[in-house]
Amino acid sequence: MSATALDRDAAVQARVVAALAARALRSQLRRAQFLLPAFLLPLLLLAVIASGTSAARHLPGFPSTGAYVGFVVGGTLVQGALLAGLTAGIALAADIEGGFFDRLLTAPVQRVSIVLGRISASIALGVAQASLFLAVAFIFGARYQGGVAGVAIAICIAAIAAGGMAGLASAIALRTGSLSLLQNLFPIVFVFLFTAPAFFPRALLGPTLRHIAVFNPLTYVVEGIRGALHASAALGDPWKGLVAATGLLLVTTVLSVLAMRGRLRAL
Amino acid sequence: MSSLAYAAGLSAAMWRRSLNEVVRVRGALLPTTVAPIIFLLGTAGQFGRLSDLHGFPTTSYLAWILPLSCLQGAGFAGGAAGANLARDIEQGWFDRLLTSPAPRALLLAGPVLAAMTRALVPTTVILSVGLVMGAGLSGGLAGVIALYVAAVWFCMIAALWGSTLALRARTQQVGPLIQNGVFLAVFLSTAYTPLPLLQGWLATFAKYNPVTYVLEMARQATVAGIPPSWAHTWPGLVALSGMTVLFGALALRQLRRVNL
Amino acid sequence: MSAADDQRAILVEDLVRTYPGGLRAVDGVNLEVAPGEIYGFLGPNGAGKSTTVRILTTLLRPTSGRAWVAGHDVVAEAGAARRVIGVALQEAALDPLMTGRELLRLQGALHGLRRAQASERGDDLLERVELVDAADRRVGTYSGGMRRRLDLALALVQRPRVLFLDEPTTGLDPASRAALWREVRALNADGTTVFLTTQYLEEAEQLAERVGIIDRGRIVAEGTPDELKARVGEPALHVDLVDPAEAERARELLAAHGECSHRRGGGLIVRMSGARAIAPVVRTLDEAGIEVDTVEVETPTLDDVFLAVTGHAATDDPAPEPSLSA
Repeated sequence: MSATALDRDAAVQARVVAALAARALRSQLRRAQFLLPAFLLPLLLLAVIASGTSAARHLPGFPSTGAYVGFVVGGTLVQGALLAGLTAGIALAADIEGGFFDRLLTAPVQRVSIVLGRISASIALGVAQASLFLAVAFIFGARYQGGVAGVAIAICIAAIAAGGMAGLASAIALRTGSLSLLQNLFPIVFVFLFTAPAFFPRALLGPTLRHIAVFNPLTYVVEGIRGALHASAALGDPWKGLVAATGLLLVTTVLSVLAMRGRLRAL
Repeated sequence: MSSLAYAAGLSAAMWRRSLNEVVRVRGALLPTTVAPIIFLLGTAGQFGRLSDLHGFPTTSYLAWILPLSCLQGAGFAGGAAGANLARDIEQGWFDRLLTSPAPRALLLAGPVLAAMTRALVPTTVILSVGLVMGAGLSGGLAGVIALYVAAVWFCMIAALWGSTLALRARTQQVGPLIQNGVFLAVFLSTAYTPLPLLQGWLATFAKYNPVTYVLEMARQATVAGIPPSWAHTWPGLVALSGMTVLFGALALRQLRRVNL
Repeated sequence: MSAADDQRAILVEDLVRTYPGGLRAVDGVNLEVAPGEIYGFLGPNGAGKSTTVRILTTLLRPTSGRAWVAGHDVVAEAGAARRVIGVALQEAALDPLMTGRELLRLQGALHGLRRAQASERGDDLLERVELVDAADRRVGTYSGGMRRRLDLALALVQRPRVLFLDEPTTGLDPASRAALWREVRALNADGTTVFLTTQYLEEAEQLAERVGIIDRGRIVAEGTPDELKARVGEPALHVDLVDPAEAERARELLAAHGECSHRRGGGLIVRMSGARAIAPVVRTLDEAGIEVDTVEVETPTLDDVFLAVTGHAATDDPAPEPSLSA
C-alpha cells in the first residue's frame, strides 16, 4: 500500500471512529438510565460527603484546600470517570443484546474502530462530567489554586481515566455479551473508588486500606487531580496522575481489542 | 368467612407472592445486600479517622457506620418493593388485583409485608459482616432489638414511599427516583458524624430529618456512647410513627386515585 | 336506575372518557347487553375498545356518563361490580415466577374463597382449560396459548356473571384460537354473559350474537352479524360462463335482475335487487343458450361492513408503534 493510500485509509478510519463516538455519546446522553448514574449520582454523593464529613478538616494532618468541598470534588471526578466507563460497557452490552452490534460488524468497518469509538465517546463524556462537577463545586465554595491550567489538567486526567474505565467495561461486555452482568457491576465501581483515597488523604486512611491503595491506579489519578486543582505537590503529583490514567487507558484498550478479537473468532 | 380471616388470608397470599421476587430469582438479594456492605467497608476505611474527633461517641468508626448501613440495606429493600410495584402496574399484573373485590389497602399490604421480611436478610448479613470486621455489640440484646425494629420499620416506610411514587408514575423508570429518595433521606442526617460535628445547612437539615432519630435508635446496638435507653429510643419511635402516618396516607390516597 | 335495568347484564349510557391532553378516547357510547348474550365489541386499535372495557371493569373512571354491570354502577358500586365480573385483559400480566396452580389459588384468595375451596376450584379450572400437566410449572415457561388459557381460567375462578375478554386471541395460532373459541361457547352455554372485544371480524362473526362497531370513540353500527351484513347490501352472484366470449350478451340479458358487471377472467357479477334470485338468473341464461360453468353466492363479510360504516378497513393501524432504536 502506498503512503497516500495509507493516509486515506487512516482518514477514513478516523471518520468512522468519530461517527461511532458521536453515536455512542448521543445514545448515552439521551437515556436517563445512563445519564442519572453518570451525572447525578456523583453529585449526590458529593453533596452528602462534602457536608456530612466536613468535620474532617479539624483532624490533625488534614491538608488545607480552602472549602472542604474543594478537596472532596477530586473523588467525585474519579467516581464520574468510573461511572462513565461502566455505562459505556452497559451501552455496548445493550448493543450486543439488541443486535446493533451485529449491524456494525456487517459494515465495512475496522473492528478496532468500534472499540475506539466507544472509548473516545467516554473520554468526551468524561470532559463534560468533570467540567460540570468542578463548576458545581465552585458554586458551593470550592476554589482552585491551580488556576485554569490546573483545572484543565485535572479534567484531562479524569477524562483519560474515564476512557480507561470504558476500555475495561467494554472488554467485559465483549467477553460476556451480558447486559445484566454489566448492570450488576455497579457495586464494583465503589470498590475501586473506596480502595483509593478518593475522599480522604492517603495518610489518614486506615492501615489496611493505606496498603491496598498503593496498588490501585485510581490512587494516583485522584491525587494527581487534587494536586493539579490546588497546585499543591503535597496533595499529589499531576504527572503521576496523567501517567496512571494513560497507562490504564492503554492497558484496557488492548484488553478490549483482544476481547473483540475473541468475540469475532467465536462467531 | 369473616372479614378479618379474609384480610389475613389474602395478605398472606400476597406476601408469599411478593417474596417470590427474592426466593425464586437467583441472586436477587445480592444488589441490595452487597452495595451496603461495600459502602460500609469503604466508608469505614475512608473516613475511619473521623472518630478521633472530639465529641465522637465511639472510638470505632465502623461501629458508628454499621447501623447506618443496616438501615440503608433495609431502606433499599423497601424501595425495591416500590419499584416492583411500578413494574406490576406497567405490565398489567396490578389490573388483575384491581378488578378483584379485595379491599384496596390489602393490595399494598402484601408487598409491604414481604419487603419487611426481605429486609431481615440485608440487615442480618450487614450486621454480621460488621461484627466480623470488629464492631462490638455494645448495646447487648436490647440494642440489637432496637436496631432490627428501626431497620424493618424503616423498610416499611421506604416501601410506602416507593408505592406512592409507583402508583403515581405507573412506570418502572421511577425506580431510581425511589432509591435516590431513600439514599438522600438516609445520608442527609447524622450518617457520617453526630449532630454537634455537623455544620451549615446539613446541621439544620439533619436536625429536622426524622431519619436522624431512627439512626440514633439503631445505633444503640453498636455505639458505646449511645447505650440502650428510653431516651435514645422514643424519638426514633416517634419519627417512625410520623413517617408511617405520612407515607401511609400518601400511598392510600394515590391508590384511591389509581382509576382516575 | 329502574328495576327493568337490572335485567340487563351491561348497560352503558352516554359514556365519555377524556384523557389528560384532551384525547376523547370514548365519546358518547351507549350500549346494552342482555344476560346470556355474547356481545362482540369490534374496532381497530385506538378506537376506544380497551378504554370502554377498562371503565366497565372499574379500572378507569368515566369522565361523564354511567355504566352498570349486572345492575351495579361501576363507579358508585365498584366493589359490588367487581364481585360479579371476570376479567381477562389483553395486557394483564401473569406473574412469571408463580406456577399456574399458585396463581389460581391467589385469585381465589382475592375473591375471598377459603384455602380448600380455592384449591378445589383451581384444580377444576386447570382441568377445564387443559393445563393440569403444566399446573406446577412456572408461568414464565408457558406458551402464548397456555397463558391465554390460564388467563381465562383466572377470570372464571369466582364464577362471574359477566365475563370480559379483551382481545383474547390476539397473537394466537389458529389451533389455540379455535380451542379458546370452543371454551367461550361452552361458558356461554352455561349462562355466562360474555363481552368480547376483538379486532378480528372473523372472531366476532364466529362467537358473537350481537356486534357493536366502535370507531373514534363512537359506536357506528350495532346488530347481529347478519343484520350488519344486510346493511351493506344484497349478496352478489358470481357467474362463470363456459364461453367467455358470450359475457357481453349475458350481461345485457341479466341487467333486468340487478346491477351487472364484468369480472376478471370473463365472468359476471350480479348484485341482486331481491333475495333468492339465483334460479331466475340461471334460467335466463339457459333460455338464451348460454352455458353456465359455475355460480357462486358471495355474502358480504364484516370486513365489508366495517369498511362501509367507518370508511376505512378494520386492519388499519392508525398509529404504528414507535420502534425502539438502538
